[in-house]
Amino acid sequence: MSAIFPKWTNKLPLMIIIGGTLTAGAVTAGVWYYFTPKYFRVGYQPIQPVAFSHATHAGQLGIDCRYCHSAVEKSWFSNIPSSSTCMNCHNQVLKDDPRLALVRESAATGKPIPWVQIHRVPDFVYFNHAVHVNRGISCVECHGRVDQMEEVYHAKPLSMSFCLDCHNNPASKVRPVDKITDLSWTPSEDPNEAAKRQEAFGKKFVHDFRVESMNNCSACHR
Amino acid sequence: MKNPPAPDRQLQSGRVYWRGLEQLSETPEFKEFLEREFPANSDDFSDPVSRRHFVKIMSASLALAGIGLGATGCRRPEDKLMPFGKAPENYIHGTAQYFATAMPTRSGAIPLVAKSYEGRPIKLEGNPLFPGGNGGTDRFAQASILNLYDPDRAMRFAKGAGGERAVATASEATDFLDGQARKFSANQGQGLAILVEQTHSPSRERLRQEITKKLPQAKWYTYDAVDTGIYQRAASQAFGKSVRPIFHYDAADTILSLDCDFLGNEDEAFSSIRKFTSRRKITSPKDKLNRLYSVESLFTVTGMNADHRLRVPASTVLSVTAAIAAELGITVGNLAATANSPVDSKWISECAKDLKASAGKALVVVGVGQPLVAHLLAAAINEKLGAIGKTLALVEAPAVISVGLSELAQSLNRGEVETLAILGGNPVHNAPADLNWAATQRKAKTVVRLGYYEDETGEQADWHFPETHYLESWSDARANDGTLVPIQPLIAPLFGGVTDLEFLSRLAGLTELNPNRIVRTTFASLTGDASEAAWNKFLHDGFAPGSALKTVSASVVSSVVSAAVQRANSVTVGKDNLEVVLYRDAKVDDGRFANNGWLQELPDPVTKITWDNAVLVSRKTARELGVQNNEVVEVSIGDRKVVGPIWTQPGMADFSLGMAIGYGRRKAGRVGVGAGFDAYPLLSTQTGYIATSAKVRRLGHKYPISCTQTHWSMEGRAIVREANLDQFRTHPDFAQRMNAPEAPDESPMYPNPLDDPKRRSKLHQWGMAIDLNTCVGCGACVLACQAENNIPIVGKDLVARGREMQWMRIDRYFSASSKEHTWGQWFNDETYKRDQDQQFNEWIDNVQAVNQPMLCQHCEAAPCENVCPVNATVHDGEGLNVMVYNRCVGTRYCSNNCPYKVRRYNYLDYNKRPLSELKGPFYATALLHSTDDEWDLKRWWRDPESGMRSEQEWDLIRMLKNPDVTVRMRGVMEKCTFCVQRIEAAKIAQKIKAGESGDVVVPDGVIKTACEQACPAGAIVFGNTLDPKSRVSQLKEQQRNYTVLDFLKTKPRITYLAKVRNPNPAMPDYTAPFTFEEFELKNGNPFTHGDSETSSHSGAKINEGAL
Repeated sequence: MSAIFPKWTNKLPLMIIIGGTLTAGAVTAGVWYYFTPKYFRVGYQPIQPVAFSHATHAGQLGIDCRYCHSAVEKSWFSNIPSSSTCMNCHNQVLKDDPRLALVRESAATGKPIPWVQIHRVPDFVYFNHAVHVNRGISCVECHGRVDQMEEVYHAKPLSMSFCLDCHNNPASKVRPVDKITDLSWTPSEDPNEAAKRQEAFGKKFVHDFRVESMNNCSACHR
Repeated sequence: MKNPPAPDRQLQSGRVYWRGLEQLSETPEFKEFLEREFPANSDDFSDPVSRRHFVKIMSASLALAGIGLGATGCRRPEDKLMPFGKAPENYIHGTAQYFATAMPTRSGAIPLVAKSYEGRPIKLEGNPLFPGGNGGTDRFAQASILNLYDPDRAMRFAKGAGGERAVATASEATDFLDGQARKFSANQGQGLAILVEQTHSPSRERLRQEITKKLPQAKWYTYDAVDTGIYQRAASQAFGKSVRPIFHYDAADTILSLDCDFLGNEDEAFSSIRKFTSRRKITSPKDKLNRLYSVESLFTVTGMNADHRLRVPASTVLSVTAAIAAELGITVGNLAATANSPVDSKWISECAKDLKASAGKALVVVGVGQPLVAHLLAAAINEKLGAIGKTLALVEAPAVISVGLSELAQSLNRGEVETLAILGGNPVHNAPADLNWAATQRKAKTVVRLGYYEDETGEQADWHFPETHYLESWSDARANDGTLVPIQPLIAPLFGGVTDLEFLSRLAGLTELNPNRIVRTTFASLTGDASEAAWNKFLHDGFAPGSALKTVSASVVSSVVSAAVQRANSVTVGKDNLEVVLYRDAKVDDGRFANNGWLQELPDPVTKITWDNAVLVSRKTARELGVQNNEVVEVSIGDRKVVGPIWTQPGMADFSLGMAIGYGRRKAGRVGVGAGFDAYPLLSTQTGYIATSAKVRRLGHKYPISCTQTHWSMEGRAIVREANLDQFRTHPDFAQRMNAPEAPDESPMYPNPLDDPKRRSKLHQWGMAIDLNTCVGCGACVLACQAENNIPIVGKDLVARGREMQWMRIDRYFSASSKEHTWGQWFNDETYKRDQDQQFNEWIDNVQAVNQPMLCQHCEAAPCENVCPVNATVHDGEGLNVMVYNRCVGTRYCSNNCPYKVRRYNYLDYNKRPLSELKGPFYATALLHSTDDEWDLKRWWRDPESGMRSEQEWDLIRMLKNPDVTVRMRGVMEKCTFCVQRIEAAKIAQKIKAGESGDVVVPDGVIKTACEQACPAGAIVFGNTLDPKSRVSQLKEQQRNYTVLDFLKTKPRITYLAKVRNPNPAMPDYTAPFTFEEFELKNGNPFTHGDSETSSHSGAKINEGAL
């Protein structure tokens, strides 16, 4: 009697198990690795209602970040400037430029400009801008080279492990407080020298200014 | 200079960009594709070919954007940041603002500082700048913020009484008032009656004078269900001039309270607590304590904190007062004859002797419910004791409206009232029953009501005006000592309400209608300073310095007192002549807070009952009447009757039935309706709050009561430790001596994560000390915690199942003398009784009570942390035991393993439940329930977060929440965090200040936890234990310092300071504290044991060496 099932089918269960395990493993690994903020959020660059160029304002013109984001040193929230702040200059410069129509309208009527939010941590994270910028953490650490961005995009993952990298080792990121908004600042032009100087400076900063590595849950979650 | 490149128009054609797509868009093929497929000419869309084309392209771009869409799906939804068009000055988004204001009360105001976040007030604290203030508040102030966001408050102008009610517009309503004003201007106010509540607002008083000038025929009446005006009336009569008494408990060495619950239900309790406990704070055995005698029928907060307590029926208190007066040489006629009363004459004479001994530093106070003659007698006693001007200050008080509801009723019955304006109050619910107010009120042609709720009175009024909350109003008040305080709005009226000042001005047709300007005018006339700077300082500080009322000297007109004494007669109560005591409730007041869920769910400070009132009886009364707990009875006086459940209250006077007023509201809102029974039918103008000849009839069924502490005794355990002052002086370390003997195995059960120095912060280690000597058990801390930490309420049924969510509770234990009772056997015999059988135990007749705030102890070697399978509760480096809500999966192992039982579990999504569901036991399901006329299942499909609450309610609920604290969802464990949000905020503020310096340690006193800040006694102290100078370190240094359940070696960060009582050795009821006797009975005398010696359970002798 000829077999209904060929002989290789004996191995079928084993193949299914191995194949299934491999597939499941691959899917899990894929999700694990790729479904992270590093892949899902970095690069997010929505179209903003006004084509505001940070590269022009912060980069070319060298306006300090805090001219517009004035609350960053005082509040957990770094404010988006009110339209009247824009008009401080733009009532002189590019007075009638059509690209600024929305800003002029907003400043006149008080109607807010609906900027699209790019950087955002989840609601259960209580991030505080003020404490970071007052204690030697530059804007660039989380926001990237905004001074080179025509249109702002999400440059860093802002995931929990991203936060913890620095929180576990604050010495690696701290810099003199007066260099906070100088996004291009490095301890030295030479990368090797920069690393060396950063290490020395970081160690001193952490020691002298009593920086504790805030890696307890309660630092960010309440 | 290089010009910026023009924005890339092509980029704007897509919605969401993605690094991959962005790169893709650079390819010429893709650019071409885009240019071809998205024609700029919109005419093409009407062309069928083009349209088909369009659809095709759309699907193509959708497919292309698939990755992007998928990403959008995984990514959070797009949010908009809306900055100001023009930024307001001095506003920094993300930071809270603080404004000084005040909460008006009957006899003054509570000076407050309101925290406002994004323009919405979210938390109230006491004003620490206020002279003599310490930032403490009371229960009502803490909970009043919830009233502001009450979805059941009056939100509309309405006209037509009862079934004819219709919504009116604001302009219709003001037109009506203007019409009234024109009418009464013409006839000088003939037929206008204005019924107001007691208040100490100078602006309203000024308006009243102006209105009286303009409309001399208009009549003013005042009514309040809790008649605190009796103090001023009594003092004015006794001293023969218009004065008001102010009690300086802080100046008194010996205080006698005659049915006066000045630490609990009396007005101004928050400041009385502060003053009283300032004399109970001790640091060493040499310090002196004040002494409190209490004579009362109910067991009150004052009774719990008394050194000597005499339980007598409330109607006998007058006799006791007279007896004390007689001892001091005041003629009282026959009133002092206490032949039939069980009062020990030695108690009276020794108490009087003690009062006399501390003459000049003694104070006698009489309760608000007691008849006028008792108040007059007390005035005479106080004068005899030299209290006037020392412990009892008399201040010049402006005469108040002296006519009340009875006079108004007469006037109504005579048909003299054309328009009756009722401002606040709720007489239909709370007027004395013999006035039959609901019917009497209708005899006015028009009834106009300004009310916060469309309540029982409101629904019977022809016009109803929504009143503003005090946080929405401009007004002013005088604090208890007369200091002028502003009431300034934190927010515009949420529902377009009117303030009482505006309402009165309009009704009388005055020219100035703006309440802000009314208050400013008053301020300028009172202080004589109309400048902008003075006004701004007034608003900033929250009080006008030096504006306190002048104290005057006066002496008692003895003829008034003796005449009153002659008219009075003593009463004896017994089984056939039961006494009813109606008292202001600790939670709903006279009913005004009935719709406040926080207060409803707050356990009563003494009974620990939530959501209900009950007929409180003593064990003996219950036995004589043959009733037991939860049994529903009908209590009648004549033909007036109420029906309520029985609750046996340890320490109650026999044959006295205590009933809290303010419950049983018929129309209060969804929270208040169905809570408790209405006791007002027993209130009459004849008998007042204390009535005799009551009868009780059993109705044969039971009513469930939700009580949060069902077990009354500590059974000899050293949970709360106390000693008498002389015991403390001989053994200052008594609290330590009560520690359990060292176990042979000394290793703690659980590891201490802070043993690892790397994990330990060298800057801060947080700790707390709670002084049981000053904690009176008022419960303000519990509500402050609830407000600060977004704690939901769960409802009556779930409280009964032990699922209440308050992070803090106040444990109240009753203890009895081992001499009087044989109850001690039942723990020695290990035959424990069931909780519900305690009510039959004889030991509960004469009890003492102790209070202990219990919250997460922040153990270093925490039992909870070690059993959590998902690391959801862990230690941080500063000693906090923190909950990570996102990790919690709800196994509840931690709660099971917590020896202090301070963890709370979210069994349901409490924030999403409808308000009508708070009483249980049956709960709606989304399958059968609809909200906003939409099937809940459909709603859930549309928005899973919507719950069973309408959109409007959500708007209000969200406004109340503290943005610094996570709102927890179902299935998550939570507990006290030591107000981690405040700690972090203070640390951040300090670091910002430090900048490039090492000055990062938060100074002592900057961080106050919500409970600490609200505590009027200052019993809770939080701080950094690494700083030896911090207040908390100093307290922990004291010898009274001890740890609860020390033998578990959990190393809690919260320690308690043992209580020290100060009884008078000459008194007949002088004993060691009952808890001490219980402890001794179980563990042996702690003073005779050496430190190494182990105690035994048997053979301990009572009181040996203790005294």
